[in-house]
Amino acid sequence: MGDERFFPDDMPMPSANAETAGWWEACVDHRLVVQRCLACGTTRHPPGPVCPACRSASAEWAELPGTGTVYTYTVVRQAFMPALAGTVPYVVAAIEPDGGGGVRLVSNVVGCDPEDVTIGMPVEVVWEDIAPELALPRFRPCTGGGSAR
Amino acid sequence: MSQTTRRGRQACIVGVGETPYAKWGGITDSSEYQLAVRAVLAALDDAGISADEVDGLASFADDRNEATFMAADLGIAELRYSTMSWLPGGGGACAAVSNAAMAVETGQADVVVVYRSLCQGQFRRFGRGPGNTAPGPVGGGAPKPRRTPGVRGARSLLEAHVAFTMPFGMFGPPIAYAMVARRHMHRFGTTAEHMGAVAVSTRAHAQHNRRAIMAGRPMTMEDYLASRPVSDPFRLFDCCLESDGACAVVVTTAERAADIRRGAVDIVASAQGTVRGFGHGQYSNVSMPDDDYSSAGARSVAARLWGRAGIGPGDIDVAEIYDHFTALVLLSLEDFGFCGRGEGGPFAASGALEWPGGSLPTNTHGGSLSEAYVHGLNHVVEGVRQLRDESTCQVRNAETVLVTSAAGVPTSALVLGRR
Repeated sequence: MGDERFFPDDMPMPSANAETAGWWEACVDHRLVVQRCLACGTTRHPPGPVCPACRSASAEWAELPGTGTVYTYTVVRQAFMPALAGTVPYVVAAIEPDGGGGVRLVSNVVGCDPEDVTIGMPVEVVWEDIAPELALPRFRPCTGGGSAR
Repeated sequence: MSQTTRRGRQACIVGVGETPYAKWGGITDSSEYQLAVRAVLAALDDAGISADEVDGLASFADDRNEATFMAADLGIAELRYSTMSWLPGGGGACAAVSNAAMAVETGQADVVVVYRSLCQGQFRRFGRGPGNTAPGPVGGGAPKPRRTPGVRGARSLLEAHVAFTMPFGMFGPPIAYAMVARRHMHRFGTTAEHMGAVAVSTRAHAQHNRRAIMAGRPMTMEDYLASRPVSDPFRLFDCCLESDGACAVVVTTAERAADIRRGAVDIVASAQGTVRGFGHGQYSNVSMPDDDYSSAGARSVAARLWGRAGIGPGDIDVAEIYDHFTALVLLSLEDFGFCGRGEGGPFAASGALEWPGGSLPTNTHGGSLSEAYVHGLNHVVEGVRQLRDESTCQVRNAETVLVTSAAGVPTSALVLGRR
């Protein structure tokens, strides 16, 4: 797991701040997490300084099983960066992770023909290791074997 | 303030101006800032008001041409008011006008010019790879991506937020809003032909408007359907232009407007903002409840706008609806109540948006799809022209115009009325 590459090296790298760094650190360990308020249990994404529901600043990184469903998606057919000329068409999707309390993640559906992606499709996380300190959670159709951690 | 004085300070738009519009990279003999200055002066000339009278400046969308430089370079005697709307991108066009109106109505300023200059050829085009790199060279060109792998420190909140989209290849608005359009299609059966109805009617309007970049390039539904795919379900002609140009409008009080040569247009009502959670990172709406996600995100703005105006969608003669993408026009029409939820597609396909025959002639200048992409301030300009009987697709006896700003982000809207 993690050896497979789905996008070219020239893809933009993420930047993090005090609120979001913990999410990216979990990715390095191949843990898909979501920020959850310790006071009221509300989840939020992207991570933020306080809970938008109760304004508590105390929160945890709740680990998710790594499965979910496609809420919506698009098949990108134009290479918006020259480096993507060999990658298009690719799928960008909003994924509703199981156990996420309703939050959605922007990611990709890989490992299948883009034309086969549908709304409601069950997916599971597949980690793409970019560098020792960076891994990205992408998703593929469920293989039926549970978590793809 | 007494009732009479209040009425005297009612905000009006008394002048509009623009530079020529060109496809991005098409304007090489003037800088973006020079265009901004020209648009401001053109609007003042249209109003017959000297720059000596200007005491306020307002803009939006992080316009690079700061009001303080503008004020100094125009020789403004005393700058009493300046604002930048924080609504993102094109969401702030109507808000900038609204902010100007509030300034004149509260007596903070007497003559406020709202302007937007955007030369995508001289700076980075939107949605071209990493958003956190330096501007590209004059004349366009893709920015150089950062190649150092690993997570680094974000220099802004925005940069930390686009980290959740950019590495996944969601580079810009076409990709983000294609996903909204897809969800709307899934829920309501919206089709390519529904979106195409917006593209085709808007292009037809542009054929009458010499300022429009797409003047002289008529388009049929077949042409639309044959245009190249960008990000499903969006084709090229679902996406607005990328362009160079600037425009401006002059806002002042009814009292000052009394002897304006071209006639003043009333700012009947304005509203701006969003609801809880909408506008937060990851392309602003990704985690919103289904009803908000597959909408323009403008229902709360619409409710406040109609409440303040004391009228409803049935009273509107012309609509200038922000059209960065065809599908989002359908969603705005729903949010502002011109049709029911999910009925935007059939409404557009019925011919409702067409001038002169439709029930709601929409984007009579050609919009962002076919006139120019000036973050929707040109929609305000066109709304004013309709109420002065100066549109190239003039709606007869137009009394009331709705102008909306960007859909899918925190946004704003105006009702303009004939004086």
